[in-house]
Amino acid sequence: MTAVVQQVQDIFAGRRLASIGLSWLILILIVAIAAPLIAPFDPYEIDPIARLSPPGWPHLFGTDHFGRDTFSRAIYGARMTVLIGSGSVIVALLTGGLIGMLSAYFTRAGNVLMRGVDVLMAFPALLLALVLITLLERSVVNTIIVIGIVYATTTARILYGMTLKLKREVFVDAAICSGAGHGSILFRHILPNLLSPLLVQASFIFAFAQLQAAALDFLGLGLPAEVPSWGNMLAEERIYITRAPWLLLFPGALIILSVFSMNLVGDAMRDSIDPRFKDDIAGV
Amino acid sequence: MPLLEVDNLEIAIAMRGQLLPVVRGISFSVDEGETLGIVGESGCGKSLTSLAIMGLLDGTPVRITGGDIRFEGQDLRQLNRRERRAIMGSRMAMIFQEPMTSLNPVYRIGDQIVENLRQHQKISQKAARARAIELLELVRIPEPQQRVDSYPHQMSGGQRQRVMIAMALSCDPKLLIADEPTTALDVTVQKEVLDLMADLQERMGTAIVLISHDLGVIAETCDKVAVMYRGKIAEAAPTDDLFARLAHPYTRGLLNSIPVVDRDVEWLEAIPGRVPGIDEDIEGCAFHPRCPRAQDICRRNEPKQHRIGNEHTSHCHFAEEAAP
Amino acid sequence: MFAYTIKRLLTLIPTLLAASVLVFLFVHLIPGDPASILLGDTATPEEVAALTKELGLDKPLIVQYFYWLIQVVQGDFGRSLFFGAPVLSVIANGAQTSILLALMTMVWIVIFGIPIGVLSASYQGRWVDQLTSGGAMLFASVPTFWLGLYLILIFAVWLGWLPSSGFPAIDGVGALGHLRYLLLPSLTLAAPNAALIIRLVRASMLDVSREDHVRTARAKGLHPSRVAIKHIFRNALIAVAAAFGFTFAALVSEAVVTETVFSLPGIGQLVVQSILRRDYPVIQGVILVIVVLYAVVNLLVDLAYARLDPRVSLQ
Repeated sequence: MTAVVQQVQDIFAGRRLASIGLSWLILILIVAIAAPLIAPFDPYEIDPIARLSPPGWPHLFGTDHFGRDTFSRAIYGARMTVLIGSGSVIVALLTGGLIGMLSAYFTRAGNVLMRGVDVLMAFPALLLALVLITLLERSVVNTIIVIGIVYATTTARILYGMTLKLKREVFVDAAICSGAGHGSILFRHILPNLLSPLLVQASFIFAFAQLQAAALDFLGLGLPAEVPSWGNMLAEERIYITRAPWLLLFPGALIILSVFSMNLVGDAMRDSIDPRFKDDIAGV
Repeated sequence: MPLLEVDNLEIAIAMRGQLLPVVRGISFSVDEGETLGIVGESGCGKSLTSLAIMGLLDGTPVRITGGDIRFEGQDLRQLNRRERRAIMGSRMAMIFQEPMTSLNPVYRIGDQIVENLRQHQKISQKAARARAIELLELVRIPEPQQRVDSYPHQMSGGQRQRVMIAMALSCDPKLLIADEPTTALDVTVQKEVLDLMADLQERMGTAIVLISHDLGVIAETCDKVAVMYRGKIAEAAPTDDLFARLAHPYTRGLLNSIPVVDRDVEWLEAIPGRVPGIDEDIEGCAFHPRCPRAQDICRRNEPKQHRIGNEHTSHCHFAEEAAP
Repeated sequence: MFAYTIKRLLTLIPTLLAASVLVFLFVHLIPGDPASILLGDTATPEEVAALTKELGLDKPLIVQYFYWLIQVVQGDFGRSLFFGAPVLSVIANGAQTSILLALMTMVWIVIFGIPIGVLSASYQGRWVDQLTSGGAMLFASVPTFWLGLYLILIFAVWLGWLPSSGFPAIDGVGALGHLRYLLLPSLTLAAPNAALIIRLVRASMLDVSREDHVRTARAKGLHPSRVAIKHIFRNALIAVAAAFGFTFAALVSEAVVTETVFSLPGIGQLVVQSILRRDYPVIQGVILVIVVLYAVVNLLVDLAYARLDPRVSLQ
């Protein structure tokens, strides 16, 4: 644990902006966990009399066109942010990461698999998401799966390249000579070397996933409309922008701050990883 | 008046908010048409010295912290950037260690020579191209009319270094600084390039500062030698005098460690110990932790300059006792 | 160059074929009978039976695929359920708007992205660099539609300088008036992509500036601006060109959102509307067109790459 803390300190020492970003993300996480304790109102409670009221007391961020408290909805929206972000990261890393690693390790079957990945990469990201979403119902899980698969392709490509590089290293030869099996070589010798670049990749996926999820919400193809996500808040209230310009300001600013923070953190971490892998990871 | 005069030059690297000295007050001079060899292990400050003379430290964390560099009587540190650039590539030129990467991969070699010519001379594109072909012929590139349009990746390492030499000599410089020009090349090619440089020097009267870690290379080509260790000149002498009487144990170590046949031998191993890091403090003589003859005095006091012959100096407490 | 182009074109075929299989299977993956799906809810059983026969839906899947592929190659993508018109003409209607939007966006990306990236790299570590590269990362973090909505609010609603949405026919408003409708959408679409280009130009210029040949260029006594443009930027352009394929993909994705925000009748909006209308033949057609376009763009990127870097062998 202290080693982890030390490493985090090393990465963020002297990077004020990235440290602020990290603090913001931790704050979002705390808010997401403690949402019911923090939110002053029920995020679903409709109050027709207080429709579209401006920011003030007791509605800090004002209310939407149903009279729901924007601040409370934003607090609950943090949950969706954390859920969609980490869910997409897990799907992308588990599927894409595994495909990439195995393809690089077992080259013959891998060539075929990677051709499949190439085919999926022939579809621009949001387009692929749209195609997949057509086949599925609007739900939180499906949104996570769709965004996860979109980024699984790039993750597979990246891990494929990095594993190929590692396979040529002496320590892998040494492991083979000492009689290690495939599983042991892959997961005990190769994977540990890939963990920090994977973490960087994860942070960029987390950031991109927010933007893609918000875009899907906006198009009416993401989370179910009643779910209080920041993207849905924007989508639902967009037509009231002229009457209540502040209404879209808060959820928008929250998305921007979170994506920006994640990008800053990813950027800081990328600078501190093995230079061999730096070029493999595409971020912002 | 010497062509180049370096007086008590000090160079430091800015690292983590402090200045770490790398070159600690060195002085030498080069006359017109003369060749000076600067020899030492990597990290001794010889390359930074050459970059400082050339004026290529801008934009790096390295800076000159003291001393003077006079070239043709001008104090280079007093010149502004524009005046400085007017000298670079014209009256003073430089070639580097890495011929494979020192040319821009996206331009034809002829255009790269033309660029240097047209930077400093009023000359038409056509005339510059003709001159580039002449220069390629001068450095013995076969079929220069065709090769002028080659890209760097289409040439071998030796050929690329010849192109670098052609480019450096394009404006008839008074001084050529060569930083390990043959280190990255095969032995046979090394010899050819060194011979070429010697030949051109004779014809054009260019003075050369040759930086190398290889005392053998220096011995073959230089009029005089300065041996550097940890940012200082350990021993300096005309080449013949130096080999007639080695007056510093470090020079002796360098000489003993020249591999005869097998180039792959890591020659630093021959001198015991390792080059101290730039952030380490050493009391007394900087070489004493590795010196086979170190005495108490070496651990306590820094040696002064001892004059052995007319132009032969050594920074060793036992310089005068050194066996011939 | 020609032979290389042909060779690269040939290597596209397997990928495109595989993508076409996916697009074909797409209709079959939707729960329900493909003929009813393609005809929509209002179809009579007779119509369904007729289409089933016409498309050979009673035949094995692989035969159906080849039927379909042959038609697609001939430019027959079927009929739109919603418009009743051939899919290709529906797409062609939207293409004009989208292509204009893309071109205008590219202009902004180049105008803003490249000079700011060069500036940022030239002042590495100084406040200019921190401001521009930090700003670029911020812009890359902004949801496109959010930016679009506020641009509409400020410039169309409050200031009234520009139209808020739509795209009237060119003969009604004249060429310049026509482009006015694209000004806000193209700026919206350009913002995140220009931001990416800024960061890319900066990063690759910093990479190049550490290379040995830049030191050689400086040793020639060249002016720093000449070193920056002719030597550093020219070499950094290779990496930037290679990334333009990604930019195109991002552009397509974000155009879908931008066209929706500004109610532009382009291909992007067509995709979304068709998904919401369950107009499957149009979805299939648009996706195929975009995939082919994307492949061609990547081919062009490769060719540009080869022209920029003499080390890339065309053999």
